[in-house]
Amino acid sequence: MGLSKVEQRIKQKERVQELGAAAVARRLVKPHIDSFDYFVEHGLQQSALGIRPIELFQSATNCRLRIWIERPSISPPLKDDRDKTQFLDQRLRPLECRQSGITYKGQFSADICYQWNDQAVMRFSTSFGQVPVMVKSSICHLRGADRNKLIACKEEASEAGGYFICNGNERIIRMLLVTKRNHVVAIRRNSYKNRGPAYTDIACLIRCVRPDQSSVTVRVYYMQYGGATLAFSYRRQEFLIPVGIILKALSHTQDREIFELLSSIYDENNSGKRGAVGTQLVVQRAQIILEEVRRVGLFTRLQCLEYIGERFRAILEGVEDQPAAAVGERVIEDHIFVHLETSLDKFHLLIFMLQKLFAVADHTAAPDNVDAIQHQEILLPGHVLTMYAKDRMQDWLGKVRRVLAKELEDKPNEFDLQDVKKVQKLMDKVPSTSIGKRFEYLLNTGNLASKHSLELMQVGSCSESTGYTIVAERLNYLRYISHFRSVHRGAYFQSLRTTTVRKLLPESWGFLCPVHTPDGTPCGLLNHLTVSCEITSDMEANGVLRDYLSMRKEIVSVLSSYGMVSVSPGLAHCAPPSHVPVLLDGRVVGYVEASRIVSVVMGIRLLKVLRSSDIPADLEVAYVPCTFAGPYPGLFLSIGPARMVRPVKQLFGEQSVEMIGPLEQVYMDISCPDGIDNGWEDVSPTHMEISPMAMLSIVAGLTPWSDHNQSPRNMYQCQMGKQTMGFPAQTIQYRADNKLYRLQTPQTPLARTLRHTEYHMDEFPTGTNAIVAVLSYTGYDMEDAMIINKSSMERGLCHGQIYKTETIDLSRLNKKADGFNNKFARHTQLMYHSHAKFLDIDGLPYVGQRLKGDDPYCSVLNTMTGRAKVFKVKNSETAVVDYVAAVGTGPKEPLQKVTIRLRQERNPVIGDKFSSRHGQKGICSQLWPDIDMPFSHVTGMRPDIIINPHAFPSRMTIGMLLESMAAKGGALEGKFVDATPFKYNLSSSSDRDSVAREQKGGTLIDEYGDILRAHGFNYHGTEVMYSGVFGTELVCEIFIGVVYYQRLRHMVSDKFQVRSRGPVNPVTQQPVKGRSAGGGIRFGEMERDSLLAHGAAYLLHDRMHTCSDYHIGSVCSNCGSLIAPMAVSQAKAGHTHLLAVGAKRNKEVCRYCNSGKWIEKVAMPFAFRYLTSELAAMNVKLNLKVSDELRNT
Amino acid sequence: MDNVSYQRFPTVRIREIKDDFLKFELRNTDASMANALRRVVLAEVPTIAIDLVEIEMNSSVLNDEFIAHRLGLIPLTSERAMDMKFSRDCDACDGDGKCEFCSIEFTLNVKCTSDQTLDVTSHDLVPSDQQYPVYPVGFMERAEYGGYEEDPPEQRGILIVKLRRGQELKLRAIARKGIGKDHAKWSPAATITFQYEPEIHINEALMETLTLEEKKEWVDSCPTKMFDIDANTEQVVVVDAEAYAYDDEIIKKADAMGKPGLVNIISREDSFIFTIESTGALKAADMFLNAIEILKMKLDAVRLSMETEENDDQFGELGAHMRGGL
Repeated sequence: MGLSKVEQRIKQKERVQELGAAAVARRLVKPHIDSFDYFVEHGLQQSALGIRPIELFQSATNCRLRIWIERPSISPPLKDDRDKTQFLDQRLRPLECRQSGITYKGQFSADICYQWNDQAVMRFSTSFGQVPVMVKSSICHLRGADRNKLIACKEEASEAGGYFICNGNERIIRMLLVTKRNHVVAIRRNSYKNRGPAYTDIACLIRCVRPDQSSVTVRVYYMQYGGATLAFSYRRQEFLIPVGIILKALSHTQDREIFELLSSIYDENNSGKRGAVGTQLVVQRAQIILEEVRRVGLFTRLQCLEYIGERFRAILEGVEDQPAAAVGERVIEDHIFVHLETSLDKFHLLIFMLQKLFAVADHTAAPDNVDAIQHQEILLPGHVLTMYAKDRMQDWLGKVRRVLAKELEDKPNEFDLQDVKKVQKLMDKVPSTSIGKRFEYLLNTGNLASKHSLELMQVGSCSESTGYTIVAERLNYLRYISHFRSVHRGAYFQSLRTTTVRKLLPESWGFLCPVHTPDGTPCGLLNHLTVSCEITSDMEANGVLRDYLSMRKEIVSVLSSYGMVSVSPGLAHCAPPSHVPVLLDGRVVGYVEASRIVSVVMGIRLLKVLRSSDIPADLEVAYVPCTFAGPYPGLFLSIGPARMVRPVKQLFGEQSVEMIGPLEQVYMDISCPDGIDNGWEDVSPTHMEISPMAMLSIVAGLTPWSDHNQSPRNMYQCQMGKQTMGFPAQTIQYRADNKLYRLQTPQTPLARTLRHTEYHMDEFPTGTNAIVAVLSYTGYDMEDAMIINKSSMERGLCHGQIYKTETIDLSRLNKKADGFNNKFARHTQLMYHSHAKFLDIDGLPYVGQRLKGDDPYCSVLNTMTGRAKVFKVKNSETAVVDYVAAVGTGPKEPLQKVTIRLRQERNPVIGDKFSSRHGQKGICSQLWPDIDMPFSHVTGMRPDIIINPHAFPSRMTIGMLLESMAAKGGALEGKFVDATPFKYNLSSSSDRDSVAREQKGGTLIDEYGDILRAHGFNYHGTEVMYSGVFGTELVCEIFIGVVYYQRLRHMVSDKFQVRSRGPVNPVTQQPVKGRSAGGGIRFGEMERDSLLAHGAAYLLHDRMHTCSDYHIGSVCSNCGSLIAPMAVSQAKAGHTHLLAVGAKRNKEVCRYCNSGKWIEKVAMPFAFRYLTSELAAMNVKLNLKVSDELRNT
Repeated sequence: MDNVSYQRFPTVRIREIKDDFLKFELRNTDASMANALRRVVLAEVPTIAIDLVEIEMNSSVLNDEFIAHRLGLIPLTSERAMDMKFSRDCDACDGDGKCEFCSIEFTLNVKCTSDQTLDVTSHDLVPSDQQYPVYPVGFMERAEYGGYEEDPPEQRGILIVKLRRGQELKLRAIARKGIGKDHAKWSPAATITFQYEPEIHINEALMETLTLEEKKEWVDSCPTKMFDIDANTEQVVVVDAEAYAYDDEIIKKADAMGKPGLVNIISREDSFIFTIESTGALKAADMFLNAIEILKMKLDAVRLSMETEENDDQFGELGAHMRGGL
């Protein structure tokens, strides 16, 4: 009975854990799936409702036609039935899409409704093309499939979906951070001064979101003269309106009420009190605002509306024939505070914004930091799609209107608007199926092209915004799952020179992981959600759309029962500090007395967690208290979607678990069970963290003893963990990814955190437990190099494979002018005879066939020309044919498409990269055989890996030393070691070990040292070792233990570049660049300088001349020309063929001097010759003086 | 000076001998000899291991290279190895497995027909040649009947791959003679280690200054069980000198207790205790004998070559040095 809703959820979560990897993965990708479900089931309909019908009027027939879209829907993906192939099962499954490189998409259709002169509505169901479908969403065939069914479908047993399949690639829509919806923020930004004269850098803004997720940002700028201007954007243009006009256009009140409302925040009795936000200036500003309107000559609401309407008539579409007041109303309805319905609500919100704006201008309230997560929410994939769907449909309707209007204008007599057939024929000019194509384009490229800019920050100046989608690479599970938990700040900020947006702010605690962000350009912009962070959804757990209206009603009634004064006309003037304004989802609902507010907040929190109450469990109750010049006070409640929430424990009531948001968290007193009191003295915490691990993301939570490492090392590990070769998928057999890395014998780490078990990482292991000795041995382990035991390697240490899939599509080849004559076949000609060893008669390779460089793996024969196009394995690579699949054709048709998967063996070689889990990466520099490795005299053990002790002092990765010792002890005891960070700081942990340790006053080392000692090893993890080469005892004891090593995907075999001769640039004769082209490595300016400085002239000459564009040119020493000498065929010069035999075929003759006797051979860079010809082309003659002078002296 | 002989006559005293385990003392020699033996056992004693695999059918979950690698690592009984030829030196054949001098052919043909997972183990490797049988280790001791699960673990054989219903593995494998230097699969030794024999001298006089408590504390400070306290005399006695791991723990402890020189431990530079563990391919003792044989052969090679001046090319200055003069 006492269970709260959240506790129930947690209980569910626990049950989920028992269910295994599938359920855990599902929880991690939930925001993606939920939001796509919303898009399909509700968002589409909402966006159709949000589109205004188009209207056309033909005066000749007096006919008015309205067209609008209704009931849009997307159907589950079906197989392409163009060829009328009779499939038994029409359903298109994700596996098929992946293997054949097609898109997993469903039919997008809607009713187009026509209405003539208020007659009955005619509906026509129309196809809008096909839209990519998210795997495991409500319209996916895999929805609800259990483990067995998934395996039967050849999917991952723990498949969680959340991605789209576009042309065979798995892509996901990134989550983006955007300004929190319906939340007033005050900011100072210098660029605001450029809006025009008298503008200041202060503004208040609110991002208002409609039910269809499209948004309009309204800004209120503070003016130097004390007034304010309201602004909103429409079609990438900002429109500025004096705020007084809007105020008056929004309500029927007298100026006096507006004046009193605006100046209510000032009360002379309150000056100097905590939370007094108004100053005397406010009174004057209120007068200025009203004066401004009066000066324009506007007195009534109607006048204001007409004033607005007249100015916007030319800008809005489809309002040409409407009265000005109606246009004005429409502007207010469609563009100002679109999240509110009544103009009274809008009026009060505007008053609130002005009050906040003035407080910030007077420095009685601090501006908000928009980069802080408390003012942000997440732009979910489903919401992007919903917005985009509306935008596209609106765009399409607009085009239809323009086509019809043009026809009406051009042929007013022939065209009859009443003729359905004619109208529809015209409409076909605007193909409706292009909408689906646009969706596919969005998913394929991540570029969102839109006229209406969708009000997103990342838009920048160009008309397209990029970076919405990314490929979910299956390099390993960590990388894969991280894609779903990543949150980007927007591509726009990436180019920004200021780094403030990248800062790690304390507000992000518990929501964004401080450790898991990449280095370099995306640092701080690309963050990852913590494991405990959830995103609020639009739907209840049962898939029903949340009833926000009744929720809001319930909350307001609860608040009223707590003594909130509701806003109403003629209300007594309430303002801080005596009263605190209450905003619910961006609507001012009332005021609460400041003295009662704390108990009100407490009351709501208690109700929030109570199962029987109607107040949602994820309600955010952000009470910003009255302070001196702090943030503007208020009680901000929000129940909307796309907010981040996370669980904390209440320390009052029934100690239940409450979901809190980032805005409220800042003002709450939450203690962390890390054993330290955080300097609490006078405050007693109201809430407690469930675990100190809550602040880490999944990947960061897997680093053992990360609390003992220097912090940047943990960041490096987050990066490297995602580059590790591991076990990427259990369905490798059925996958056709471009590139897959696989570790042959992965192991589960001996030292592991609780997260490892919780998230079933054993299903996708990523490393090997290696015996690691820390010593300086032979010098081959200097500078982060490491020595690997060759014999261990031969026994299978870190063996791996790369799978590469090549898709050969005949229909693509067909485009190249050779008609439709290609087929898969081996050529029968003799010169192709050697192919028979590798290819079968059908032109495809034998499975299991070993291929070396330049061996063919596929052959396509052109039946017309009789020529074969042979696909060959790249030079210097050996591969085995792993899998050959004939793709997607009916039984009758000849084969059109194949995918061939090649497998390359990648066993460790010198130059491969490895890393422990503590940001300690290194390159293998030697593979010593067993006999040369040092050995422990007691056990006879030789280490697998030797690393240099210098890797530790400056990097301070104590966690690695701990892991080495602990895992060694674990290996001796046959137990896994718990390496959860912060575990030993938990004062509440009452397990026997820690109690025992406390009694001994010991540390972690003592615990694991004792285990080692008990097994006859040195307490500190060291062992006496003997040199493998000399058989003598090493002078000092060697620290040796077990460390989990990861093999990183960077391998020399993919990177080495070497050439002696090879392709050259045809113009300059210099070697081309690029590894894939077989080019050279640039010997650049600095390298040249270095050789010059060394005086290594011969080497310099060799590098820059002999090995580059060495050329022997002919120069005529008479005229000094390099281009005049030409090779003249001697036959032409009058000799017979016979005479030419044996003789030099060509003779160089200077065409200028008409003689060959002055021709001299001169060695030069070819680039020089090129220069002379270029100069000649510009009428500049270059003379060379050729003489033997130098040689003679 | 020339007449002084430095020749020593090393002796071996065997402490413990089992098929796969050998512990002995090697005396009257130095670390170079001991280490040379260790290195030869690890890297140069020949054994037989699967080196070439021809896969006819593989529908298991592991790919061909993976299975080939696993097969290679299975130890085969290698008593014949010393008499065999390296396939690269074999004149009688081209190394295709048909040659009795250098290669042994195995076949493996397993298909799973039941619903239960089938374990393919080293016992399924069948040698084609019955004349000089070479088997996977443990093949002769395998249980005649019963499935994998019923057999005691040591008789189950080495697991190669698991098959589910319908999966099949059919291959031909050729085992060849080789040495650990070429690939670790030919190394006959699992572990080989030696240590200097320690000599422990307790300063009895100083020891007597300790109380029983202190003695206990001191004795316990050693991670290995080296010392004990005689229950009757309350004197510290050496129980197992060789348990000393040269970790200086007790010396440090004595220093920490303010009694430096309580114990003096010297390692005897000419006396070694060897421990050898075999993979099963060879008997531990054979392994060691073979190693001596090979070491002798290597030395012979050096001696032979140093007698001919032509080999100056090979040995350079060393050759001239060996012949005694420049």
